[in-house]
Amino acid sequence: MLFYIKLAWRNMFRNKRRTIIASIAIAIGLAALILSMAVMRGMETNMIKSATASFLGEAQIHNKKFREAQEVEETIRNLDRVTADLKKEDIVEEFTLRTISMGMVSSPANVNAVLLVGIEPGTEKFLSQIDDAVAEGRGDYFKADNSRDIVIGSKLAEVLEVELGDRVVVTVAQAKTGDLSQEMFRVSGIYRFDIKEMDSGMAFIRLKKAQAMLGIGDGVHQIAIKFKDIQTASLKEIPFWETYSTGGNEAVSWITLLPQMKVVFDMTAITIGMMVIILGAVVIFGIINTLFMSLYERMFEFAVMRAVGTRPSGMRKLVILEAGALGVISIILGLILGLVLTLIMTKTGIDYRGIEFAGTTMHEMLYPEMHILDFILFPIGVMIFTLVVGIYPAWFAGRMKIADALRKSL
Amino acid sequence: MDKQNNHIIVTEDIKKNYKDNGVEVPAVRGVSLEIARGEFSAIVGPSGSGKTTFLNIISGLDTPSAGKVWLRGQLLSEMTGKDLSDFRRDHIGFIFQAYNLIPVLTVEENVEYIMLLQGVPKVERHERVMAILRDVGLEEYAGRLPSKLSGGQQQRVAIARAMVSGPDLILADEPTANLDSKTGAELLEMMRELNIKTGMTFLFSTHDTMIMERARRVITLKDGIIDSDEVKG
Repeated sequence: MLFYIKLAWRNMFRNKRRTIIASIAIAIGLAALILSMAVMRGMETNMIKSATASFLGEAQIHNKKFREAQEVEETIRNLDRVTADLKKEDIVEEFTLRTISMGMVSSPANVNAVLLVGIEPGTEKFLSQIDDAVAEGRGDYFKADNSRDIVIGSKLAEVLEVELGDRVVVTVAQAKTGDLSQEMFRVSGIYRFDIKEMDSGMAFIRLKKAQAMLGIGDGVHQIAIKFKDIQTASLKEIPFWETYSTGGNEAVSWITLLPQMKVVFDMTAITIGMMVIILGAVVIFGIINTLFMSLYERMFEFAVMRAVGTRPSGMRKLVILEAGALGVISIILGLILGLVLTLIMTKTGIDYRGIEFAGTTMHEMLYPEMHILDFILFPIGVMIFTLVVGIYPAWFAGRMKIADALRKSL
Repeated sequence: MDKQNNHIIVTEDIKKNYKDNGVEVPAVRGVSLEIARGEFSAIVGPSGSGKTTFLNIISGLDTPSAGKVWLRGQLLSEMTGKDLSDFRRDHIGFIFQAYNLIPVLTVEENVEYIMLLQGVPKVERHERVMAILRDVGLEEYAGRLPSKLSGGQQQRVAIARAMVSGPDLILADEPTANLDSKTGAELLEMMRELNIKTGMTFLFSTHDTMIMERARRVITLKDGIIDSDEVKG
């Protein structure tokens, strides 16, 4: 076996130019896979961040009935115990309490339906980007200690034709009775997320005020949670979900809250799969072409080897090992190329800020994320692929007719 | 049966037809022949007379359309492809017109290749390779690649490769065709000496009058049949 390995390795360097060209083609395929995977991973992280950091949070806890019916009386059960437990969770970085209700905001000029959100400004700023989205010069994010402050979106301000300091009236239906509750607020901040639904259809007031208007006492409808690791929300197997999905409550991740995002990620996985197939086809033809050219050039030599007693299995072994040698060279080149390209891009980043994708506007630079497994699994895949592709030329070499190949000689 | 056992090669009415554009063309038209052990013989004839086809058939590299071949008393048609490979490896040495050494292997590695297939231990391989290289005058060239040798030297390596495992039969196709007459004569002398020394059977396929002069038996093929069979005294 060692002899065949030595022979295969040396044979690969008989035509250095051809071997190098074929290796570079395969290496580019491997490097492209590594880089694409890192970019996709970075994009996924960005999309999760953009989707969850704006307002959603990476996970939420509700009363089980609330998410379906949006009834304001369906507040979270055992709130004190739930919040106490959340404070003890190692995986949780921050959480905030919210009320969620439909309401009307009216100004002297117009009236508009909104999702009225009661928030605790102190903790909300860790979970959402409302404070960042309040554009400079357009107000403050609940800076003053005034319970009648309201922060609205820029599109809503346009519809209502209001500016900072203007007064608006908020109307909501109270829990249980359905009686209307009206309060006057002062526009203290105008935010711009560049997400149409948020800029035109949401308004934020203080939690205590919202609870009072809705008549739900100290109840809240939602606890938004941020984990220490952004990937935690994707882990279905962690006990967190079960722990907080008891007593009439439910804990769900952004994957459940934003099913369309999951579809996007699934599509991304399909795209990667298609890319693997296309690159695989390039690799297949590269290897087959190289091996067959090398084989046809050496028909005499192969026939001589067969004539002097090499078994067909020996010839097959030699060709498979030559494919393996090509794979080794290609993988070394591909790993170096993939590492260098990905490292450069992790430093420079890709600027696609402002681009809206699947309903999410990207706010941050995209930085590819390398993963050690990419540098193990992809090369193993390429090697297996190379060896499998080598089977056909190897089979061809094993069944060659010696006399035909030698016809010009013996 | 005695005939097959007493001779290294026995052929019985060998025929071989090739298809050329759908038309059957006879290359060998019924050759029956016996070659005794230790012979130093030549098959001669003009191009297209069927020499090469006949050699391919008796070495198991090609199959006859009709007829039988016995090598060392074994009927080739009863052997599987793997058996034939092993049989050639253990009992037949080949010398080709164009040397056909493996270019990426050194002289020593080329010569030891067949022993490696036979599973001969490394130390023994090395000893036998160096001994045969000494016999052919190339001991100092053991570490060189074939491309660094002259044509004559490469053919010496090919002879060493053919003989190193001690086969019963050496088949040589135009072994002197690519060599100058002086080198060719030297190699023929060397092969004759090895034939006498080891008792190996040599069978040449050739046009070369130098080989015809030195061969102890000259079998002439013409149009696929034996035209004459001359044994020298």
